[in-house]
Amino acid sequence: MTSPASLLQSKVWRRFGAAASTTLIFLLAGTGPAEAQKKISLLTWNIPVYKEKIDGWIADFKQLHPDVQVEWLDKKGTEWATFYQTQVVGGAAPDIIDVQGALWLEYAANGGLVDLTPYLAREPQLRDWYNAKFLATWVYEGKQYLVPFYISKTLLFMNRTMMQEAGLTRPPKSFDEMLDYARKMTKGERSGFLTLNFDWLYWPLFAMNGVELLTHDGKRAAFNTPAAVKTVEALAKATADGVINKVSWTGRWVEPNGAFSSGTVGLYQAHAPAFFYVRGAGKWVNRDTLGIAQMPGGFSTPNSHGLGISKTSKYPDLAWEFIKLATNEKWAYTFGTTLNNLTGTKADTKILEHFKKEDPLAAEVLNTQLEGLDKLVGVWPQARDAQIKEAFYSELQAAVLGRKKPADALAEAERKVNRVLQQR
Amino acid sequence: MTYARRRGSGFVWLFLAPSLLVFALYRIIPLGWNAVLSVERWSPFRPASFAGLDHYEEMFFHDEVFWRSLWNTVVFMTSAPIAIALALGVALLVNAPIRGRALYRAAIFLSYPLMPVAVGIIWRWLYDEKVGLINYGLISAGLISRGIPFLESFEWAMLAVIVAAVWQILGFFMVILLAGLQSIPRELHEAAAIDGAGRAQRIGRITLPLLRPAIFLCLIIGIINSFTSFDLIYVMTRGGPNYATELLITYIYRAAFTLTRFDYAAALTVVLFVFLLALTWLANRASGGEAGAVEAAE
Amino acid sequence: MRPSRTWPIHLALGVVAAVMLVPFYWVLKTSVTGENIFAYPPSLWPRHPHLYYFVDVWYYIPFVRFLLNSVVVSAIVVAANLAFNALAAYALTQPFAGKRGVILVLLSSMMIPFQATIVPAYLITKDLGLLNSRLGLALPLCSTIVNIFVFKGSFDAVPRSLIDAARIDGLREWQILWHVMLPLSTSAVATNVILSFIWSWNNFLWPLIAIRGEEMQTLPLGLSTFLSYLENTTGALYAFCVLVLAPGIVLFLLEQKRFVEGLTSGATKG
Repeated sequence: MTSPASLLQSKVWRRFGAAASTTLIFLLAGTGPAEAQKKISLLTWNIPVYKEKIDGWIADFKQLHPDVQVEWLDKKGTEWATFYQTQVVGGAAPDIIDVQGALWLEYAANGGLVDLTPYLAREPQLRDWYNAKFLATWVYEGKQYLVPFYISKTLLFMNRTMMQEAGLTRPPKSFDEMLDYARKMTKGERSGFLTLNFDWLYWPLFAMNGVELLTHDGKRAAFNTPAAVKTVEALAKATADGVINKVSWTGRWVEPNGAFSSGTVGLYQAHAPAFFYVRGAGKWVNRDTLGIAQMPGGFSTPNSHGLGISKTSKYPDLAWEFIKLATNEKWAYTFGTTLNNLTGTKADTKILEHFKKEDPLAAEVLNTQLEGLDKLVGVWPQARDAQIKEAFYSELQAAVLGRKKPADALAEAERKVNRVLQQR
Repeated sequence: MTYARRRGSGFVWLFLAPSLLVFALYRIIPLGWNAVLSVERWSPFRPASFAGLDHYEEMFFHDEVFWRSLWNTVVFMTSAPIAIALALGVALLVNAPIRGRALYRAAIFLSYPLMPVAVGIIWRWLYDEKVGLINYGLISAGLISRGIPFLESFEWAMLAVIVAAVWQILGFFMVILLAGLQSIPRELHEAAAIDGAGRAQRIGRITLPLLRPAIFLCLIIGIINSFTSFDLIYVMTRGGPNYATELLITYIYRAAFTLTRFDYAAALTVVLFVFLLALTWLANRASGGEAGAVEAAE
Repeated sequence: MRPSRTWPIHLALGVVAAVMLVPFYWVLKTSVTGENIFAYPPSLWPRHPHLYYFVDVWYYIPFVRFLLNSVVVSAIVVAANLAFNALAAYALTQPFAGKRGVILVLLSSMMIPFQATIVPAYLITKDLGLLNSRLGLALPLCSTIVNIFVFKGSFDAVPRSLIDAARIDGLREWQILWHVMLPLSTSAVATNVILSFIWSWNNFLWPLIAIRGEEMQTLPLGLSTFLSYLENTTGALYAFCVLVLAPGIVLFLLEQKRFVEGLTSGATKG
């Protein structure tokens, strides 16, 4: 019994030896020289494609502050929070963060973000540079926590071909009319209406029916009203009849986009970035076949990205300088035209002009992003926003998918939301 | 026995040290951290304050998602014995001296190393109501007239997820059982065959008893399969629709990183741990104690 | 085994293998065509196969660096697992005071999900100064309880007489492990190698938080970055996954030979 044993020994030993020596090499190699300069870090949200331009930011910044090193990190949305929060616990939170949606509220409410009000107060021309309406969406307890990086909000996309076949020409003007349109366009595999459902993107459906989420002081739920029950009943019935595509309630980000781009849905409530995806995936999309409008009543939910500074940052002033650079005229314009977004700054005028020339359909979409800024909904400065969202949506989903009676679901949601609001 | 006494068992602790160190650092201490955190109110940005049993109270009395996810976890675990039985059958077949055995082994095992995100998306497609392969097959075979929305219906979602999870873990169980099968000396089977024992008898009297440690191990793995399948479930349904596939582990993860409630997640972890420990203890008793260990014959 | 009796086995195994392979076949097919997997009706054969997605993987991300990192980390993990687990399992075959307690501790350690340990694991690794390093990536996985028990099961089946004989011969404990136990447990070794490799290779959550920059990232993390470039084209995702899968399969096939060797050497046991 010699060959298997010695074969084993030599293979195992060889592998072990290889691994051991490799380990030694890398242990000796270490993780880099000790820090001599100042260093700030930037964490962005899923824009690795933008690497070249971010290097441009860093280069420009280095000219102004040659003694500062800038580290750039980027994480996909699904991992961003996990990464950031772990870094915070470990005391190595990135100085500048690019946050989407309402996540910033958790951090701000817990004292995790630097209050930017004094910085803005010192430079009044900056207050003008940033779009005031969007700035207002990032205020908590009177303090400004983020400035706009790029903005988006919901609008209504219309499949003109399907509409024409149903004899419809102009955008719907009310909730009932919209559902009526949708019903007319539903046939076989086709459905009339679809909506994105993450964060509070579906809230315009409630807003246009006069439903408020919370009382004015934000202390109690205020949505359990007859109007809300009627709304949910209508949504549930429409979903059951196939008028509202079920993917609205069961899908996340990809599925609704995919469904609309397949050309089988008549109306689609989504935010502007969805347009670029839909156009890429849906061969049918062009100026004639895609209609753009605001939702009935002009309500929309923003889903913007803002830049802020972590409270644990060692160099908040430098971080602020960097943010100013990243959102200045040159870079805001570059960002908007490269990544097809508006930036919530005065650069937006030039960006829109650019698109009007180069890509008129995109210009039409982006135009909607600056309209109706007085009717922004889904922006409640609640520290427990994530929990409230979950409490409400889980009940809503049950109701619209026919699992619970709307009245019961709303009552249960009210109970759960109130409980969240009362938590210490 | 005299040899052991003469030598003393000092070497035992030395041998156990490296593994125990890894577990102490990365399992025991984190468990302690969770236990401490579960009685505090804390967020990454502010110092902790004592919360007593508030989180537990909320969990047991006011959190229906907790109870739902606990129930789902139990349901999910019941798939383990079925999966193990299947894997055992496959392992026995694959262990038979037939040609192409290696190919079968590889084909069946292939599912396990595949990244969960790929597996999740493929199964999402397989189950799709309109374009999925499963519905396509069922409709073509005339069994149903329109597609079943597996992952979007409350009734089917859990079953659908379990099937996908079993699919992925089958290869894993097979490998464990194969290792166990191959430590059974050939001579035992040969001797029994000479004595006239049929195949079924040999499997029942020799194979299965000697496989007890491997089966016990598979049972334990089955119990914690909800963790092992976490990525898969998260990608497929994210716990939906409406918590139909929410397991305790997905709830813990969401509580910590989506709802930013590390303290509550810690309490959930402690409860999950105690629950699983109880189950393991039961499993241990059921397989005869001593972690199913078998004393080797002389 | 009479030849005429093997066909039922082949049939059964064939069915099982086919069922197991269907999803995998689709992964492979989509990776070479990039067809929208949501196209209906589903087509069985790939239309216009091409390898562009595989090329994209190499082009868009520093694939080689990620691959190297994954290889080094997994090599450390596999080696450590073999060493630590064999040692621990051998210790567990001996009677000693506190054995029950140790087994209990090990079993209960399995009940602690990794997702619930991320933050403390991060802090501990930070205190050890091993963040952003390959060793730090490997450390939590350097010993796994399942694998310890795999070894233990195999060691328990070794006849006592062999061990006693070795002791009489004056062999020290580690020599017994090396010369007696391990050679008789080739399939346990193979299992350890395969499983620890897969767990390390596919590990996503730990590298996500333990690594900050791009230099040390492993393959699964590269997937995230890669998908940001080619968002939502499953062809690209699957090409990436096939590439990530390949080493695991190759390793498994290599280790399969050990299974065979284990079988034949079993016949000469004792």
